[in-house]
Amino acid sequence: MSVLLVSKWAALAGLVICVAGLGLRWRRSMARARPRDLAPARGSGMAGVAYAFTAGMMPWAKESTRHHWIAYLRGIGFHVGIFIGLPLVAANPWWGLLPNGPRLGLGTLLGLCAVLGAAGIVMRIREPILRTLSTADDYVAIVLVSAFLAFEAAALVSFAWMSVMYLAVGILLAYIPLGKIRHCLYFFFARAFFGQFVGRRAVIHPQLRVASPAMRAGEARR
Amino acid sequence: MSDMVETALGVFERQLGRPLEAALEVCARCGVCAEACHYFQAEPTVENTPVARGEALRRVYRAEHDFLGRIAPWWVGAERLDEASLTRLAETAFSRCTLCRRCTFNCPLGVDTPLMMRAVRAMATAAGVAPEILVMLADAAIEKGRSPEIFRDLFIEQMTDLEPELRQVTGNPQARLSVERPGARVLYVALAGVHTILPPAIIFTAAGEDWTLSLFEAANYGVFLADPGRAKQIAARIVDEAKGLGVEEVVLAECGHAYAALRWEAPTWFGGSFPFRVVSLVEKIDTYLTQGRLNLDPRAVRERVTYHDSCNMARSGGVIEEPRRVLRAIAPDFVEMTPNRHEALCCGGGGGLVALPEYEDLRLRAGKPKADQVRRTGARTVVAACENCRLQLGDLNRHYGLEVEISAVADLVVRAMRPADLNEEAVSVRAEAIAA
Repeated sequence: MSVLLVSKWAALAGLVICVAGLGLRWRRSMARARPRDLAPARGSGMAGVAYAFTAGMMPWAKESTRHHWIAYLRGIGFHVGIFIGLPLVAANPWWGLLPNGPRLGLGTLLGLCAVLGAAGIVMRIREPILRTLSTADDYVAIVLVSAFLAFEAAALVSFAWMSVMYLAVGILLAYIPLGKIRHCLYFFFARAFFGQFVGRRAVIHPQLRVASPAMRAGEARR
Repeated sequence: MSDMVETALGVFERQLGRPLEAALEVCARCGVCAEACHYFQAEPTVENTPVARGEALRRVYRAEHDFLGRIAPWWVGAERLDEASLTRLAETAFSRCTLCRRCTFNCPLGVDTPLMMRAVRAMATAAGVAPEILVMLADAAIEKGRSPEIFRDLFIEQMTDLEPELRQVTGNPQARLSVERPGARVLYVALAGVHTILPPAIIFTAAGEDWTLSLFEAANYGVFLADPGRAKQIAARIVDEAKGLGVEEVVLAECGHAYAALRWEAPTWFGGSFPFRVVSLVEKIDTYLTQGRLNLDPRAVRERVTYHDSCNMARSGGVIEEPRRVLRAIAPDFVEMTPNRHEALCCGGGGGLVALPEYEDLRLRAGKPKADQVRRTGARTVVAACENCRLQLGDLNRHYGLEVEISAVADLVVRAMRPADLNEEAVSVRAEAIAA
């Protein structure tokens, strides 16, 4: 069995662990109670959720990201790399069909994303508060993702790195449900709850205020 | 494991619904929330970051619910709860977080740190390590609801004594300060103290409202304890009263947590919405202005005025533009603080902090960013639609020498009423009394 085949099996095993682990976590989360908000809405919960996943993610939407836009864009760039890099692994059998230009371009882009990830490690070590709060999990998570992006970038440039890339993605995928990278699953819950909150209470979009049935009844009585 | 720890963990497990689990799991520990917190702005230390507060509970969560946390606790920073760590957690949740939600709004992932701090408060309350004053205040309110007859006559007598002043100020000989009058359209729920009764009474009378006064006060200390059982019992006094009187609307005094509790939380405690609408006095005044029911002098408040957004009213309640519309209608030199609205800084008095003398020093230090913000506006009057904010702003005013007046929205509205609505001479006497 070739090294490449072994590494592909490792990646597949990692994928199975990842899907099963996140699936179990998803099931566990869905089994937990979700307290219903029974107060009459002042605004639209749906509009709030839409805001939370779109305009609310923009660097200018929050004071924190307006002040620290470089750090925020570093994080966004790193995550863009992940969202491009993982599907690209699945498309690996067709990499050979890509002309050199786009392939090298993708490699450069992922390489830059890997550098952004590595910068995150440096920031975590240099910044005293972040260093105090960090656990081994924080460092391992960012090292695994950055390494995966770097090896994928290398593999796009030279197919000789392919087996290392598969091994890296296998380890990364297996680690996702175990460590902090699983926040990829809870991100959707957390942003949706935030959006529901600000939407129903018309905190962000006062212009989207809606009259609840109780409010309409009150107006009618007057 | 001691009984105290077992009780706390039991409460934690009951609190662990989907929103809390998401808040515990989603944090990437990027630290971007730090500067959003007024504690950190005042004193930039690790323990003043929202992420550190969240981590304190996450360590416990990981020890109970995380695979790596159980087999290799050091890897993910897991830690079993014991009496010492529970006491530390409680101290953090009651003294270093005002539940203002500013960190949540500034987190790229939406980590709800106040939700985690409320879970800790609930654990501490059940385990008997919550601040005693809050427990006593909540229990006293519940007791008052059980035996209202003890103080009803005295309260009605006090209100009857206030009626001549109301009649004099409004120039309306029919003006009344009725308590629990059946058939009234509006039930107004004040706070302890005549300062939250007379100005609204003047406004209701001037607007021709069909209203009556609640026997109870709007404050709900069960909310600060994160104890839905106590909070529900306190709210039930008003809910039952409003249902019994058949009112269409409950208007709450200018009080942030009372509004958040009765408007947003209580329907969930009671299992459904109420047969009456719950609004804040500020929303009501804004409605009267829109309907042309108040005759206000647009130049009445000549000094520079600024508005402090109560976290419970604005970030957690959506009452953001209403007070501004009212203030712009009476104060030509109205200026905004920066930042404002849902980005406003917490004053440092929320979450029950103003009721806890043991944390006074910390509270005043944490209020420094707000004091600086007030000073930068150059305003002479700072308006807040929340009693706890006004108390804190008053303390900050003295502590940092701001030389400003702290006012409720209703007080300024009464100052701005034209003689057609009331007796001007009496208003100036009353305004002086309020200022004093």
